[in-house]
Amino acid sequence: MTPLLELHQLAKLQFDNREEYLFRPITSKVAQGDRIAVIGASGQGKSTLLRILARLERPDEGYMSLDGVSDKDWKPAQWRKKVCYTAQHPVMLPGTVEDNLQTVSRLHSLPFDAPAAKGYMGQLGLGDLDWKKEASSLSGGEKQRVALVRSLLLQPDVLLLDEFTASLDPGSREGAELCVRQWADTSKAAVVLISHDMEQAERMCSVVWFMAGGELLEAADAGRFFAAPETEAARQFLKRHAGEGETKNV
Amino acid sequence: MSDYALALTLVFVGITMLLSIRQKLGLEKEIVVGTVRSALQLLLVGYILHIVFGSRHPLLIMLIITVMIAVAAWNAGGRAKRVPRIRLAVALALLCTESVTMAVLLGLGIIEATPRFIIPVSGMTIGSSMVVSGLFLNQMKRETESSRGEMEAYLALGATVRQALAPSVKRAVRSSMIPTFDSMKTIGLVQLPGMMTGMIVAGAEPIEAVRYQILIVFVLASAAAITAMLMGYMSYRLWLDKEGRPYI
Ligand SMILES: Nc1ncnc2c1ncn2[C@@H]1O[C@H](COP(=O)(O)OP(=O)(O)OP(=O)(O)O)[C@@H](O)[C@H]1O
Ligand SMILES: [Mg+2]
Repeated sequence: MTPLLELHQLAKLQFDNREEYLFRPITSKVAQGDRIAVIGASGQGKSTLLRILARLERPDEGYMSLDGVSDKDWKPAQWRKKVCYTAQHPVMLPGTVEDNLQTVSRLHSLPFDAPAAKGYMGQLGLGDLDWKKEASSLSGGEKQRVALVRSLLLQPDVLLLDEFTASLDPGSREGAELCVRQWADTSKAAVVLISHDMEQAERMCSVVWFMAGGELLEAADAGRFFAAPETEAARQFLKRHAGEGETKNV
Repeated sequence: MSDYALALTLVFVGITMLLSIRQKLGLEKEIVVGTVRSALQLLLVGYILHIVFGSRHPLLIMLIITVMIAVAAWNAGGRAKRVPRIRLAVALALLCTESVTMAVLLGLGIIEATPRFIIPVSGMTIGSSMVVSGLFLNQMKRETESSRGEMEAYLALGATVRQALAPSVKRAVRSSMIPTFDSMKTIGLVQLPGMMTGMIVAGAEPIEAVRYQILIVFVLASAAAITAMLMGYMSYRLWLDKEGRPYI
């Protein structure tokens, strides 16, 4: 399949030490329908990578292209409309839940697709949420889901999700995963998600990008990666996570 | 006022000094510097005005107004030094405000086209516009810090820089104009404006002084609105780079 989004030698230096890489040059691609899980220890630059892909942050080296057109030939706003980042810490815009849901239609002068919004909200377990409520008064988990619906309504070609179920209970998490999967299937979009939950990564994604030691260490088929990672770092990482999973279940 | 009376006003400096020493405030140096500077600057301006009023040369008037705008822009722009070309932008806003104000005042014949009117009114217009742009910049700085998440949320949803900044700019425009309108509501009841007081002390009829003060109040209100609006308008190009990342 033709790649949607291509990364050409994309690299970022550390924020506080400009001598060292946060991650060394990455060359990779995201194709239509891809499901990619970005995993790695805290502070490896996963969020930064996704923010660069959405052009909310500038890379220090390299460039990207979307639909075969280099990033400098895209208007940033047009790019972000197609490659949408959903933040790790969701931010509600001023106003009510409804105002937030209608943001996309307001920004782009499109009719508001109320049935779709209702549908997503229902799938995410927010069917009973009062849309007249001030968005700032929502709980963390509610905010995270409203932010997700906001992004889905944009209908991006590439949806970037940063720990999108981090503050959800297991029930809502399942709903959110299902919602994203169905949305991506019907709209033929690509999804790149960051997760610290290996089971979620395995459930949702077919490709894994493993970031460690300041680089994209492995980019592999998910089944193969989880069964037998190529690098020692990945083996250690998975072992630690398996241990965490067990202690959590006790 | 006689030289003797003027010299006697140093009594007030003496009181300030005494208090500072008695209370160990450590402000003696500030007081001396402030006293000397204010006296020198005002005397200098007095002599310059004396010359200008005598010559009435339009170029001289323009020079004075240019200096006023430059100093005001430098001063107000200092609130947001890290934003590129901010002082130039403030200067432009002040220049437009001053031009519109003077065009109306002179065009409609509200004031005489003499230095005696043009210079003081310009000074007040530029001075109060300087305060408005300073307030605006402060507020925008606060906005780009506190609303960064909000701006980014807008950008992530495909908003243009203009769309992402609009709510912040609107809040900053409002809050920089509010003090002007607040003081309009209490003027005369709480504070007697300096200009009016000065005119009355110098022997003008209170009614006449009040008429000029009304003129000034209205001029300053419109100047505040024009300055705030222009600063807001220019913000879209100033505060975020092309990609939508804030400079502050
Ligand atoms: N805007 C910024 N200014 C300064 N430092 C930053 C900034 N953004 C990220 N960093 C630093 O860069 C490093 C990578 O951050 P990033 O958020 O990308 O990590 P992450 O892999 O997403 O971690 P986590 O799993 O904890 O979310 C961290 O050390 C972080 O402190
Ligand atoms: Mg992160």
